[in-house]
Amino acid sequence: MTSPQLEVRNLRKSYDGGRIEALRGVSLSIEAGEFIAISGASGSGKSTLLQLLGGLDVPTSGEVLFENAALGTAIHLDEYRAHRVGFIFQAFYLLPTLRAIENVQVPMLVVTGNANHRVERAKALLHELGLEHRLYQYPNELSAGERQRVAIARALANQPSILLADEPTGNLDSVNSARIMEILTGIQKTHGMTLIIVTHENDIANAAPRHIRIRDGRIEP
Amino acid sequence: MVHQLSFARFACKNLLRRRLRTLLTLCGIGMAIGAFVTLVGFSRSFEREWQRLYSSSGIDIAVVDKNFMNTSVNESLIDKLRAVPAVAQAHPMIFNIMDITPEVNALIFGWHQDSFEFDSLTFNSGGRFHDGKAEIIVGEVLARNLNKKVGDTVELQGSSFTIAGIFHGGTALVAGALIMPIDQLQQLSSLQGKVSGFHVRLRPAPAGESPQHYMKRAQAQIEAALPGLNAQAAADRASNNQFVDLAHAVAWGTSCIALLMGILGIANTMAMSVFERTREIGILRAIGWKTWRVMMLIQIEASVLGLVGGILGIGIGVGALHLLATLPQTASVVSSSFSWIHLVEALVISVISGLIAGAYPAWRGSHLSPVEALHYD
Repeated sequence: MTSPQLEVRNLRKSYDGGRIEALRGVSLSIEAGEFIAISGASGSGKSTLLQLLGGLDVPTSGEVLFENAALGTAIHLDEYRAHRVGFIFQAFYLLPTLRAIENVQVPMLVVTGNANHRVERAKALLHELGLEHRLYQYPNELSAGERQRVAIARALANQPSILLADEPTGNLDSVNSARIMEILTGIQKTHGMTLIIVTHENDIANAAPRHIRIRDGRIEP
Repeated sequence: MVHQLSFARFACKNLLRRRLRTLLTLCGIGMAIGAFVTLVGFSRSFEREWQRLYSSSGIDIAVVDKNFMNTSVNESLIDKLRAVPAVAQAHPMIFNIMDITPEVNALIFGWHQDSFEFDSLTFNSGGRFHDGKAEIIVGEVLARNLNKKVGDTVELQGSSFTIAGIFHGGTALVAGALIMPIDQLQQLSSLQGKVSGFHVRLRPAPAGESPQHYMKRAQAQIEAALPGLNAQAAADRASNNQFVDLAHAVAWGTSCIALLMGILGIANTMAMSVFERTREIGILRAIGWKTWRVMMLIQIEASVLGLVGGILGIGIGVGALHLLATLPQTASVVSSSFSWIHLVEALVISVISGLIAGAYPAWRGSHLSPVEALHYD
């Protein structure tokens, strides 16, 4: 029996001195290569769970294990975020002063010193995502769907084994939403990556082989 | 078209985002560095001119009171000084600064007509003055500023003096100076019998004695013969007189204030920039940038501001030094020459100023929590 890629043990997260409890004892296991959708109402704690899975934040109690190593202690969070996970956000969060090809190089700046390699990898990723004609555009010159594809390319830049997406289609129309989901699931299959999507859209949640519902900081049975 | 992203390119792009603010910050640090280059360059040029003045006139030792500005040494002590075995020649002198016209001031020296210091002057026209007569000689820069020639008169504190000669001086100090009979200057200053000090030429060092040792022995002999006075080697006197000290103090003091203003300007810009980019810093942290990488990015931005501002400031400073060297009010004490070391020093100070200014914004930016930064509005 293989060990899970990610394991969450009795995870709790509270804010404002404990007055707000976002997560109230969440435990789950995630195998490598799974496609999981996490859904729940606004404020249910689904984004908080994603942030803790991605090492963006630290839990109040409990722990997240990546390949049996605890995040924040056995694995440094910066290293984990740089090498193991890629983030995709609802608001894209591209850097406005950089062109598409430069935005994709940003994560690689801290991983590889080979500038040519960075450029070639960025080009290849943007090409894979159908943006070979938009390499030198600034974010404000791109459509919303194109921006999200650049953000996906950036998330893939350092070849992570886990892709975390927080409402990746939240700012997109239905056509672009479908395109982005097609891309994400395609990447998950072809690269064998673990894909965890937080969403409030039932279509997306139901399309995932595994669907986790969060309610009031707990996983619904 | 290839767009290789590097930390430096990323930093420059961030600076170019707010071009006007960056330009104004560059102007601020440029003015500060310009003030540093001008003022410190001015004071060092002043010191250099003093050193050249002493070295070109063949003075070995200056015998002065402890207070350089005073004309309080008894002229009658010259006989005791001349009796010192190591002394070959000694002459009294008075040194002063006077307004010649409301726009032009000049160094004024009082010499005897037979002073050995005349050896360092070359007359363009006319010749030496005569003791006891209302005559003066003026340096070519001063003559040009006053638009005077030999035979013209100059009014000094209500008395009229005839220009006996116009000389070429080896230094800006001398070329912009006025020299007159010591007795006339004493009369003009109501300080009969008093002088600023004595300039001494030594006899050659005896065979087998090092010049340094001989100089120290001569100084000791003079100070023993003239208790209360200091016998200083000319080179030391040039660097350590009160005028030079004062010039250095004013230059560094003013420059430090200007640099502080420049540092505050950069700090303000960087703090604003970090504040505005809170979410972007959160993105960098989210994709794995470590705190020190974020700090490095912000510090590169601050040091680029310092570097470019420094280059701008050097241009301003060198231009100002050239201007000062041509103005009648300052031409007599400053030359337009500058040392490359001084410019490198200015550039290093400018970059360090940038790093100091960027330190706190960089620390603050890099220690933001990724989640808080991403949710920042």
